Amino acid sequence: MRQQHGVPLRRVVLCLTVVGLLVSAPASPSGFQVMTQGARATGMGLAFAGVADDPSAIFFNPAGMGFQEHFSLMVGGSALGRSKADFSGANPYPGVGVSESVEKQVFIIPNLYAVVPLTPELNFGLGINAPYGLGLRWNDPEHFSGRFTSQNAVIKTADINPVFSYKLFPELSVAAGADLRFSKVQLERNSNLGIVDPFGGQVEDLAHVKLDSNLTGNSGWGWNVGILFKPVPNVGVGAAYRSSIKVHYDGTAVFTQRFTGNPVVDALVTSRLPQGEHAVATTIEFPASLNTGIGVEFGSGFLLALEADWTQWSKFASLNIVFPDGVAPELDRATNWKNTWAYRAGLEKKFGNWAVRVGYYFDNSPQPENDVGPILADNDRNGYTAGFGYNTPQWGVDLGGVYVRFKDRSVLTESTDNFFGQYSERAWVGSANLRISF
Amino acid sequence: MRTHGLRSLTLGVAACLLAAALTAQTRAFDKYVALGDSLTAGFESGCLVERNQVNSYPAVLARTFGITDFQQPLVEEIALTSPLVGNPCLGAVFLPPSTITVGPVSQMGPPLNAALPRPYDNLGMPGANVADLTELTHGDVNGSSIERIAALVLRNVTGSPFDGTSAVQQADILLAGSTGSKLVSLWIGNNDVLGAATSGIVIDGVTLTTAADFTASYQAILDALFPGVSVIRANIPDVTAIPFATTIPPVLVDPSTRQPVLIGGLPVPLLGEGDDSFPCTPVAPDQGCPLPTGTLVTLPASAILAQGTGIPVAAGGNGLPLPHGHLMDPGILVPGVTLYPDEVALLQQRTDEYNAAIAAATGGGVLVDIHSFFNDVRANGFSVGGITLTTSFLTGGVFSYDGVHPSSTGYMIVADRFVQALNEANGTDIPRPNFASILFTPNVPSPGLVPAGDGGIWGYGLETWRSVLSSTLPESVSFVLRSPLPTSRPHRSTRRVVRASGG
Repeated sequence: MRQQHGVPLRRVVLCLTVVGLLVSAPASPSGFQVMTQGARATGMGLAFAGVADDPSAIFFNPAGMGFQEHFSLMVGGSALGRSKADFSGANPYPGVGVSESVEKQVFIIPNLYAVVPLTPELNFGLGINAPYGLGLRWNDPEHFSGRFTSQNAVIKTADINPVFSYKLFPELSVAAGADLRFSKVQLERNSNLGIVDPFGGQVEDLAHVKLDSNLTGNSGWGWNVGILFKPVPNVGVGAAYRSSIKVHYDGTAVFTQRFTGNPVVDALVTSRLPQGEHAVATTIEFPASLNTGIGVEFGSGFLLALEADWTQWSKFASLNIVFPDGVAPELDRATNWKNTWAYRAGLEKKFGNWAVRVGYYFDNSPQPENDVGPILADNDRNGYTAGFGYNTPQWGVDLGGVYVRFKDRSVLTESTDNFFGQYSERAWVGSANLRISF
Repeated sequence: MRTHGLRSLTLGVAACLLAAALTAQTRAFDKYVALGDSLTAGFESGCLVERNQVNSYPAVLARTFGITDFQQPLVEEIALTSPLVGNPCLGAVFLPPSTITVGPVSQMGPPLNAALPRPYDNLGMPGANVADLTELTHGDVNGSSIERIAALVLRNVTGSPFDGTSAVQQADILLAGSTGSKLVSLWIGNNDVLGAATSGIVIDGVTLTTAADFTASYQAILDALFPGVSVIRANIPDVTAIPFATTIPPVLVDPSTRQPVLIGGLPVPLLGEGDDSFPCTPVAPDQGCPLPTGTLVTLPASAILAQGTGIPVAAGGNGLPLPHGHLMDPGILVPGVTLYPDEVALLQQRTDEYNAAIAAATGGGVLVDIHSFFNDVRANGFSVGGITLTTSFLTGGVFSYDGVHPSSTGYMIVADRFVQALNEANGTDIPRPNFASILFTPNVPSPGLVPAGDGGIWGYGLETWRSVLSSTLPESVSFVLRSPLPTSRPHRSTRRVVRASGG
């Protein structure tokens, strides 16, 4: 038993390491959710809960596995990036006329899905992917006007999702699985340590604070279920639910002094600044989600998919960072996110083994105005998708892309960070997957 | 013809409306006049000079409103001279190898804007109490402190066209002579209680205005204001919570660590003279009694403590008490550096009474609750863009080097509160001030720094105190300032008379 477990576990760790090195994402899906977990779905506006007919069903609706009869392996990933991420300031801070920008990082998020038929009714599936991620690194971090709140914020996740599907009737499949989520968070910022320079009263960067945790050391469990009903072969109605997952993070806080050159000020800072590495802890509760969709195949190779997705972002109600040894005061931020609905539509047209796809989605932001800030600035967005693929029963290749247009987000009246202005963002996603079936 | 006339009329009305709309867009108010005391004048770090006057909260408000012709009684800042010719401006001075001291770095020079043919828009008078705004109708450059301030701010001196006019009357002249939307701000009453705190002398009716007098004088200001103008007012903050009164704990502190010294596991109370509620019977060899819990020790004690006074003999001091302010001879006030719990309670109670009168006054427009706001800043700090400022002396950022008046940043915080209060009350969208520049720019005088060096471990010297006293105490009495080096009891043998010197 131990040996049987040992081999897959080592592979899992290897996979995790690869995923962990790469995973991270800009805020292109709502909040910090990443839905582009399969290239075919990506091309179809991410409306896939009622279709779910390739191994990425493990993510979109695992009950879809029940209608898949062959051992299949699917690997691929998405590249996510921002084509524009700018901020223009408003009073009282950082003030009218201030312009800032976010570094245009590109994030690669790999995924892997395996479908293993065990009996004609029972299938096993394993998915490894990264359904949540955030990466917001501001340009010119030592001069960025929001550097006292955040210079760089990162959330990474890596999920291992074993799941079973069972075909109750020829028309109905159900699925249930477990979801182990590994995650890391990182936050970097400068601090004035609550003091000003006594010789002129001006604010100075007196320390750099880096809070970090590693991916493999922090995890939480959740579960997921799905159902797919195909009353006739060309119509699918499906729903998939994922539970919320709470991850507790234990990490390190490193305070690095920034010297001003004035011996009195520097001595004062040295006497106040915690030296070395200190413990830091936080908790993030990732939201539950419910995806509901239908897929209808018309004649002449057309497939229409519609979907409505609910995400329980109210679970992300606060961000509480504690320093167990008391080196710094606790940070308790009420985030007060709201539950959201996203609406998706996709169309596929097959030409023999070839297929072309288009789609659209509208995704509401869960983030209230006062929480929008340098750590995370989210907004309602429209996603325009397209893709194509070549699929035979033995193998297939799919490519998909999204262009994400965000509404501009203004923070002019209330701000938790007291950081006012307008955020403008555009993003893109490219996805690719390769499938082999036996 | 008729149609044509109607069209012209319609066009004319539309043009007027458009013009009005455009004006409204560019200016929140067409005329703004500020009434008040040192806080309104932009008094900072012991003096009133152009460097800080341009950052007074009325000046910030006027810029925010879009008013370009806001005139203030600007005072030139000049280098220190010996002897001084004006009130010194305080600053932090670095004494090698590792000491910060607070001392004079520049001084007040001549007025820069005295020829203005109309009253100033900022009529804040350092040292003015609530009665002065309506009653002080004659200034004198050679007179008392407040008369010299009147000569500077109101210019109501003999031979001047402004002679015989009070601050409120000058405000009314400006308001009557202007068109469009008009705003008056009124923040007065701080000096009716502040002088008692800064001098350590709490005597009702002498250093402390009675609640009845305050109420009558306050309403008289509102009643005398030009009718029909918008008014915004602020109430009185807790003067016992300013760094001047909260920085030095009433127990012995290690000068190097700034932590309380523990003897037998207990902190060592400093010694005081006692007051009516806490009578003192010294136990030899000490000549003073332990300060009761809740006593406030004011910043000038810094230099006195550095000489060993106020520290028990057993703890290495000379056993002499920290001086307690009192009325000695008729008209002679002896300032002290301790506020006993009963005095603190009276100051707070009186402030509450003033604030009740301010809240109940009629014809007062929008009221800004600076008292609550200041308490909140004191408890939680002020956060902007992830930067935290506090009310701590020297390092907090909200208060200036005198420990009594706000810093330029502190005044901008006040202006910001005023703007938010106006917007909340009127549903307007007046832009809040821009903090970016003031937060990151050192506020130091252009003349070279000159070390002062009598500051003790908190760097706050007796000269500094004298400068502050001159601006916060009523002028009806002379001051007796105890020598910084009392060598023996009876302490009343060594003193010098200080005439408060403007500011």
